[in-house]
Amino acid sequence: MLTKKICMLGAFAVGKTSLVKQYVYSIFSDDYLTTVGVKISKKNIVVKGTDMNLVLWDMEGRDAYTDVNVSYLRGAMGFFVVADGTRRDTLDAALQLRTAALDMAGPIPHCLLINKADLAPDWQVTREDVDRMRNDEGLTTFATCAKTGQSVEESFLALAEAML
Amino acid sequence: MTQSPDFADSRAPEPEHAGDTSPAEDTRADEEIERLRTLLFHRELLLLEQLRARLDSPDARAGDVGSVLAEALVLSSREDDRLKMAMEPLVDRIVKESLRDNPHEFSESLFPLMGPSIRKSIAESFHAMLESFSKSMETAFSWKGIRWRLESLRTGKPFSEVVLLHTLVYRVDAVYLIHSATGISLASVMNEGAQSGDSDMVSAMLTAIQDFVNDCLADGKKEDLDLLRQGEYTLLVERRPAAYLACVIRGTPPADYRAHMRACLEYLVMEYAGQLANFKGDTGPFDAARPRLEKLLGSRYVDEDKPLPVWTKLLVAALIVACPGGAGYVFYRHSENVARAAAEAERRRSFHADMLASVDLLRREPGLLVIHVAEQPAGDTPSSTASAASPDSSGQNRDMQQERTTGEATSPAAPTDTTTLSGHTGQNRDMPPESATGEAASPSAPAAPATPATPSGHTGQSPDAPLKNADGTPWNVVCLKDRLARTPEEVLREHGKDASLFRFTLIPYVSYEPDMVSRRVDLSIQPPENVLMRFADGIIYLSGTAPMDWTLEARRKALTLPGVKDVDIRELSDPRTARLAAMIREVQGASVEFPLGKDVPVPEDMPKLTRLVDTLAAMQRLAAEMGMTVSLTIYGHADAVGSVARNYEISQARAKVIAAMLYARGSGMPLALYGLGADYAHKSEGPDQSSRRIELRVHLSPAAVPELNFITP
Repeated sequence: MLTKKICMLGAFAVGKTSLVKQYVYSIFSDDYLTTVGVKISKKNIVVKGTDMNLVLWDMEGRDAYTDVNVSYLRGAMGFFVVADGTRRDTLDAALQLRTAALDMAGPIPHCLLINKADLAPDWQVTREDVDRMRNDEGLTTFATCAKTGQSVEESFLALAEAML
Repeated sequence: MTQSPDFADSRAPEPEHAGDTSPAEDTRADEEIERLRTLLFHRELLLLEQLRARLDSPDARAGDVGSVLAEALVLSSREDDRLKMAMEPLVDRIVKESLRDNPHEFSESLFPLMGPSIRKSIAESFHAMLESFSKSMETAFSWKGIRWRLESLRTGKPFSEVVLLHTLVYRVDAVYLIHSATGISLASVMNEGAQSGDSDMVSAMLTAIQDFVNDCLADGKKEDLDLLRQGEYTLLVERRPAAYLACVIRGTPPADYRAHMRACLEYLVMEYAGQLANFKGDTGPFDAARPRLEKLLGSRYVDEDKPLPVWTKLLVAALIVACPGGAGYVFYRHSENVARAAAEAERRRSFHADMLASVDLLRREPGLLVIHVAEQPAGDTPSSTASAASPDSSGQNRDMQQERTTGEATSPAAPTDTTTLSGHTGQNRDMPPESATGEAASPSAPAAPATPATPSGHTGQSPDAPLKNADGTPWNVVCLKDRLARTPEEVLREHGKDASLFRFTLIPYVSYEPDMVSRRVDLSIQPPENVLMRFADGIIYLSGTAPMDWTLEARRKALTLPGVKDVDIRELSDPRTARLAAMIREVQGASVEFPLGKDVPVPEDMPKLTRLVDTLAAMQRLAAEMGMTVSLTIYGHADAVGSVARNYEISQARAKVIAAMLYARGSGMPLALYGLGADYAHKSEGPDQSSRRIELRVHLSPAAVPELNFITP
């Protein structure tokens, strides 16, 4: 059995926890996010015939005044950075977090999730932004939605495949 | 690739009859060739004959195959599963047919194997059943059993749980082997009947908590968590750089248990050094470590007191019967001891509850965040430390005790090294306003420790003497404290609690609780008496009256403070602003009229003109106070009587008269004068006094008060 540690990073209130709530299993309450700063969940998936356990470290939102807790990134084998499409500043925060995570954990697989796809007309993040990140930086990007579950499973599969 | 030669082609061509030899000669030649062949190939021919004989004989062929069959099978099974797949249906069919045809032989063959196994299994089941029955009988009909039944009824816990609580010394419920860097569970084992969460998640969360503790409490030093305690559960952690072992233990583990853990971990780290160094998430190789982890699972129960021999019981009974006085005395002493012990126990429980209530008060205090409480058992003598059990066995205290060391484990008996993290779910950190303030004010703390009803003669202390912690050691409490929060001592004193029973370590932090943010803003902006301040949802609302410059400065200051998202000043007005606006309205609304062809106002408007000039001077002073300058535009008007040129001239002269009066009063106000002739006359023809007038417009700069620049008469 393969078990992989993956982290979930993003600015405050971009919907990280809501995004995965329906798709993972956890024995811990959301209170851990505000006390310890991280909540552990687990997801089992089969990638290319390989059974894989993803141990998901959902880290509390980061704003301009707090630093990401790098201790929690130690040993991570992949990560998601999440931004809120309706708030442009969260994309900048996500890119900063991505750089911090790569500095800490080395060149490990990761995906950018731009959440709140259901509010696409109100998005401040433009298609050009997304294309630029895909083409210039080679960043795997998904437009996700916590309400409908759009692209959530796909993003897990993509990250898991990259970690195989 | 090589091609096998064609055997037919290699044979010698058949000699042709030339026709010049006789048949007799031919025969002779054949015989000679045959003889020659025999001479040349005699040995080879013999070998060929032997080979043919072997190939024709089934027995010989079977012997040949049998001699290499085993090796052939081994080689084939190494290469792939084809042999297995070929054999499987065959063997399956053979076994089934054989079982159907000869069941008796099969049962005879299996009996030596199955018999002992079945006997052993049945014996073990009987043994367990008898043991359980014996234990149940023992507890059900003994005095202790009845007491435990009553406790079960009283607390609502299952009887088995109560028995376990009283008889269990320790039981290792779970053992986890965890990869240090990733927090992934490499292998784990559970005790039968123990409850535990998903090992992957438990391992990861444990790792996260260790990181959290390190980040928060280790002051930059690399120190590791190696003990957590919650109620009756203890979690021991033994670590090496590559991996660590975590054992969940119910009760008190034996002193040498950690040594066993260490030995086990050292063995595993050596055994799996390669896999640990190159760990990429594959936990399969570590399955083989489970048997070694299972050796760490274990338990021990209280040894039951051996019953007194029958003759001793009889002797005691005879003595008691023979001496009613003695029996009465024994009974009296026994009752007294029981009552005293109960009162003492109650007193200690009450003391402990009171200490917890004090900690609870601190938890409710805005700006204080209790992160660490090291409890001490209540007691009067040092010996009580050793015998003190966990003070809160009901599970209500959700604290985790942590012991920090730099390498070797420290003794749990060293109270100053113990730390307890609050399992409190961040209520203080993000407490809503109503709970943060309301609860703090409510006098929910229990009363002072209850005094015992009976004297505690054995301690040599007065029965009313207040209890102290064992060894006189105070409870260590670590709090995060906002600069503006009250000290823990002040909080306890206000509620009549004894702060000397605690030792506080205060770590500065900035609280985002509404009370604290509000207090911080209040101190920073110091609102004047006429200003009311309210804080809600991160926004400061100011209302009342205050000078504009104060308002702007207060807003600037408040926005720099942590926890303030915005400052709402819409309900805050400057009294001077209102006054200035009134003056502007008065000036702009004033109308001074002139006689026909004259540039001196009509006599009845002269006082009005004087008052207007006074107001302009006052307005200029007030504006200067507020950091603004005033400029004035004077428009002169004429009626339709007379030529256009004359009307422009006279209207210009009227504007100048006002300007001259202002200059005469010493006003340095910048002025702009316009003679508009009869362009704005109220009547298009004929004389009209109301058209012969002046109009004034006030301009303020800079535009700090935008609304004033748009005031219209």
